Amino acid sequence: MSRMDCGENEEALMAYAAGGLDQAGRANLERHLAECATCRELVGGQRAVWNALGAWEAPPVSADFDRRLYDRIEREVSWWDRALRPFRPALARQWLPIMAAACLLLAAGVVVHRSADVGPAPQKASAQLESLRPEQVDSAIVEMETVQEFNGLVGPDATGPAM
Amino acid sequence: MGGATATLDYDAELMLRVRDGDGSSFAALLSKHRLPVVHFLCRMVQNQAVAEELAQEVFLRVYRSRNSYEPSAKFTTWLFRIASHTALNALRDGKKERGQESLDDVAEGSLGRQIADGRLSVEESMVAGDRQAEVRRAVAALPAKQRAAVLMHKYEEMEYSQIAKALNCSESALKSLLFRAYETLRARLAHMA
Repeated sequence: MSRMDCGENEEALMAYAAGGLDQAGRANLERHLAECATCRELVGGQRAVWNALGAWEAPPVSADFDRRLYDRIEREVSWWDRALRPFRPALARQWLPIMAAACLLLAAGVVVHRSADVGPAPQKASAQLESLRPEQVDSAIVEMETVQEFNGLVGPDATGPAM
Repeated sequence: MGGATATLDYDAELMLRVRDGDGSSFAALLSKHRLPVVHFLCRMVQNQAVAEELAQEVFLRVYRSRNSYEPSAKFTTWLFRIASHTALNALRDGKKERGQESLDDVAEGSLGRQIADGRLSVEESMVAGDRQAEVRRAVAALPAKQRAAVLMHKYEEMEYSQIAKALNCSESALKSLLFRAYETLRARLAHMA
């Protein structure tokens, strides 16, 4: 919170200028203002700003504002609703399996990451590698890449759409 | 503030009804928030036609979000988060530069009507016009995020915590942003006291 050189709270001065302090706060501040020229100047200036802004009238809203809005809603939203309607039951039915598959994939990712973090015994690992067929290695690499890609999508850097 | 909280809770309730397919609840939300949203955007981009176009996008996004809406924040905070993002994106993309009616033209029309109504003399109208133009220029000169913070603070009477959420920053960062903005405005407008 910003404070004046005299130690007075700027927020309180602004609230006072806008007529927003309670009676006790006002009385306290008025005692301070009687002695502090800097705060008096700030309050005077802020009051002038407050009143000047208050005199700024915004123009009335066009009479056809609502009609134009409802036209747009009818055109844009209703079209979207109509387009999606036939798919809604299918989407609802598919939602559960999709979520279950995503959870399984996430769990697999966690398991793979944990086993990678443990730090395997080098000799045993190399013995296992020697016993693997090339297609098994390829398949394992593809799986690892898929899991890493998925983790990237759901990781801490992934953000939702704004508003 | 209790009344305001109750009202905002009611807005969230309306939005939940919109989610359940109640069109009249959307109409109620639109009726209540249309003016504050358009005025906020108008003061942000200082062009009425662009402001209304952006306000349409805001309410369209509200409607589109009905199925995923969760009342985790006050409805007004959520609404102004959408509105400020929409305005900041439009300003970044230079949308307000299109050749459309600026607020200077609109203000002239408004003051002209006040003269015709007998509420202002021609001289008073000229003084008022000059003052409003000066305020508009001072606000327009603020960086866009500071401008959004000032407008939500002054005209929507939103709390610091709400404005911080709407602008996606911490409350302390918001206060620093807001106080810098007011410092700039004081330097430009203090003589209007």
